[in-house]
Amino acid sequence: MIVGGVDVGSATGKAVVMKDGEIIGSDMIAATTRPQETARLVMEAAVRQAGLSSIDHLDNIIGTGYGRLKVPFAQENVSEISCHARGAHWLAPSTRTVVDIGGQDCKVISVSEKGTVLNFAMNDRCAAGTGRFFEAMARVLYCGLEGISALENQGEEPCIISNQCSVFAESEVVTLVNEGTELPSIIAGINISVASRLHSMVRRVGLVEDLVLTGGCSKNDGLARALAAKLDIKIERLPQDPQLAGAVGAALIAAEKAG
Amino acid sequence: MDRDAVREKSLARYKQERDWFALLREATKLLPGEEGRLQEKLLTILLDSKETVVDCVENEKSFIAGYFCNAPELFHAMDLPWYMLMETPFLAASAPYLLSDIEGAENMGIGTDLCTAIRLPIYYIENGLMPVPSAVLGLLYPCDGAPMLHQVLEHNKAWKDVPIYSCDPPYTSDERAVEYFADELRRMADFLQKHTGKTLDMEKLVEVCEESNKSYTLWQDYNELRRNVPCPHGWEIGGAQAFAISQCFVAGDPRCTDWFRQLYKCGELKIQEGKGASATEGWKEKIRLFWFDIMPYGWIFELMPWLEEEWGAVIVMDMFSNFPYTLIDTSSEKTIFHGLAKRNLLDAPMIRQARGTAENFSNDIGRIVKDYKIDCVIWPGHMGHKDGAATTGIMRETCRELAVPFLHIGLDLFDRRYTNPEEVRTKVSEYFRGMGLG
Amino acid sequence: METDIKSEAFRKFLEASESIMNPEVRAWKDQGRGVVGFFCSTVPEELFTAAGLLPFRMRGTGSTSTELSDAYFSPINCSFPRHTFNQALRGEYDFLDGLVCINSCDHVRRIYDNWIRALKTPFVQVMSLPRKVGEPQIDWYYDELNILRGQLEEHFGVQLTDQRIAEAIGLQNQVRGLQKQLYLLRKADKPPITGAETLAVMVAGTAMPKQRYKELLTELLEELGEKQGSRDYRARLMLLGGELDDPAYIEIIEKQGGLVVTDSSCFGSRLMWASVDEAEPDPIRALARYYIHDRPSCPRMYGLQPQRIAFTREMAREFRVDGIIGERLLFCDQWVVENYMTELDLKEDEIPFMALDREYILSGEGQLRTRVQAFLETLEARGN
Repeated sequence: MIVGGVDVGSATGKAVVMKDGEIIGSDMIAATTRPQETARLVMEAAVRQAGLSSIDHLDNIIGTGYGRLKVPFAQENVSEISCHARGAHWLAPSTRTVVDIGGQDCKVISVSEKGTVLNFAMNDRCAAGTGRFFEAMARVLYCGLEGISALENQGEEPCIISNQCSVFAESEVVTLVNEGTELPSIIAGINISVASRLHSMVRRVGLVEDLVLTGGCSKNDGLARALAAKLDIKIERLPQDPQLAGAVGAALIAAEKAG
Repeated sequence: MDRDAVREKSLARYKQERDWFALLREATKLLPGEEGRLQEKLLTILLDSKETVVDCVENEKSFIAGYFCNAPELFHAMDLPWYMLMETPFLAASAPYLLSDIEGAENMGIGTDLCTAIRLPIYYIENGLMPVPSAVLGLLYPCDGAPMLHQVLEHNKAWKDVPIYSCDPPYTSDERAVEYFADELRRMADFLQKHTGKTLDMEKLVEVCEESNKSYTLWQDYNELRRNVPCPHGWEIGGAQAFAISQCFVAGDPRCTDWFRQLYKCGELKIQEGKGASATEGWKEKIRLFWFDIMPYGWIFELMPWLEEEWGAVIVMDMFSNFPYTLIDTSSEKTIFHGLAKRNLLDAPMIRQARGTAENFSNDIGRIVKDYKIDCVIWPGHMGHKDGAATTGIMRETCRELAVPFLHIGLDLFDRRYTNPEEVRTKVSEYFRGMGLG
Repeated sequence: METDIKSEAFRKFLEASESIMNPEVRAWKDQGRGVVGFFCSTVPEELFTAAGLLPFRMRGTGSTSTELSDAYFSPINCSFPRHTFNQALRGEYDFLDGLVCINSCDHVRRIYDNWIRALKTPFVQVMSLPRKVGEPQIDWYYDELNILRGQLEEHFGVQLTDQRIAEAIGLQNQVRGLQKQLYLLRKADKPPITGAETLAVMVAGTAMPKQRYKELLTELLEELGEKQGSRDYRARLMLLGGELDDPAYIEIIEKQGGLVVTDSSCFGSRLMWASVDEAEPDPIRALARYYIHDRPSCPRMYGLQPQRIAFTREMAREFRVDGIIGERLLFCDQWVVENYMTELDLKEDEIPFMALDREYILSGEGQLRTRVQAFLETLEARGN
């Protein structure tokens, strides 16, 4: 059986094709302004990568993510919470807590041994703790998102950014830059600020190890380190691209529902 | 956890507070002048009361959790040691553990829009960090948060069997309301006698009430001194300490009256010397403020000194410094309870403003602005004051009629991250500048 | 709202729930009769009915902004009073002949203070509601009700005899009985009415003349008695909360497949699960006891959390509920702490519970959908 999962996010679209429990194709693209378009493009790309000629060859497709209602070729849609839980758990079976840091929302999911959702908390009302926050910071620091990852220096004394609102935090960071504070120090402060937000959510949901990170922002090592420090645990890295966790979960659920 | 460990844990935060204040007391020894001695004495009394509570816990003696508006004259007359469940935020004085406690409260998942002064005790109770007393006097007013806090307390397994009594608050303020509340206080007194093994001796109560009358008369006299231009004292000494000493620690005790006598003398001396609030060379009082709330105890040192030094802005009066406590007529049990009811329902600070209808806000502003020659009214806008937040239009209107500037800030008195001190200072400066103050 | 209910009665109910003024109120006013608005379900409607007035529960339905009320309230105030007061400032409540406020909560009680300063409604009163529910509090409220009775008599020139009040109580009890019947229909495996439709019916009950409402509701119950319900839902839900008067909110939940079969809420079961004691000879005493003590409470009333959670558990059991959603308006101190305790209690019972924050005027549909969908998926996973 060949199934597909497509995760239509705000910043990116991801798709995964699985055959008999193995990933045989996947892709990720920047989101277009139309979710149906994003879904189609990324699914087709994943299908091609799997060596298939068309989406029609898939026995079942599940859509998830913010744009999940606009995936015409998906048989069903499932919440990104369930999909991230399943996906992360399949990628790393010891997963019991998932922290997903996406483009415009972040969530903490408590996962059962079977990969199902026990509890969750979401922030999808403001930019704090999401990719948007990092984008705003990258703009203010003129360093680009890659710069945020690259410039952080572990030895630096991080400065404190106290504002919880990303709009006000921007002003705070501008002030720091103008005062001549070193960039690595500012970035360390930004990472700690985001980690604080996530830390609070993790505590609310309840921390059970192992904890894994998914979503685009999880690729920021400084953030991962900051969160691990706050929780006083080791955070395992997923063996595959953490941004695909949602799509993987969707594909797994597609297989379940078809079989 | 065994009983001793539970008890030790419940005292952990309390002892930490005690130690923090012991440190502050050492610091006050270095303060010059009589005001310094007053601070020191207050802290000595505070520490004394904290040691008493610790002693009660460790040696299983009777003590209660109560409030300043539960007629503390009664506890004092019954020789009943007590502490306040909301002590920590109110006494915080920028304590170093405050922020991590607030984070602890956040991590419990209770909405961050709930008043921090309510979330903190919930956090302590739910995590076994509050000493469990023989009985609890709850608080059901002035705001929604207060009864909810006590509901959590009743819900908590460790506190479920602790007897609790709360006075029911009428919304009105007339004679009928006072009489009703007096009956609630009578039931409270019965409850205390039943559950603490202490008795209420009417003669002792008369003594305590008469002593409290003396203290409050002196306090009123002292407040009149603050009408002077320049005001003899600033934020450092005055209402907050007066409130603490008379409400939280020694209601109706000669030590309290003594302290007020000293306070009055200090103020009087300052006036005679023509001195203002700050001892800084060349300092002048430029703006007389009415700070319409308690001080931002979570980060007080980052705002109050700056106001005085940077702007010559003196907090001549604040919400807790001003309450014209009616004197109690001690001629009979009836008049005593009537007087106590009035004090605790109508006069107690914050209770007075927030409990009933909005005239309590506008009347206060009107009175204070005139009596104290206020140049600017500040409504700090603490995130927990939901009723006050809904009264900002009325306050603004009142100030407009009085032709006095009104500044609404929007902050958390305990959590510096909400609107950080830097932002508050900027906001204040912009406002003062814009209004041509100072 | 998409509905398969055919009766004209339901269409009238739906209309009443989607607007402030409705044809029934219009007709009442055209007859020269009075309407008194009130906040909070602890204000006894029976007194207004007895005085020949239409009791109208205040809502901010249809509001799109708080531009005008922002001058009175702050951003940290609840959106319910902000929107309701905004509607009033826009003139939407000019038809009121009176308003009775009460100190239900820190946000809503200030409507009284702001209203008397900003608007010209004749006869605006504020009542004092106790926090506790003991005998002294019933006595206090008894006095409050008698004071209100006197005020109504004086202002509206009516005689509020015990007889008239008893009749009004009887009528309201009949309405309660019919509403309860409606709820009991939802115990079925295939309920003939959804949660959203039910809310429309309940809201309408606070926005039209009682006798008329009773007739229409009787008509609706006749249709529903025959109607075939549907089994096309993923889970049976109970809704727990306060000031929820917008059926569209429940519609979104139900569109995901979570059928709301019962509730404990402010326009829901708490209005009618218990009845006023008609055997009590003093009708004012009967009302005082009912509103303070007998009816299911909300977290505003102190000391009753154990009874509330028992009520919730009982409802969940009776209606075979799979999961409970607790909604609260942002900045509500009472419900946020109540939800905290409810979550702990339900966890012990292993009843799935999800707390949701909301604004009074429906917004963030996408977010609501995601959360509800995830919750339903969790419920289904449990079943496996």
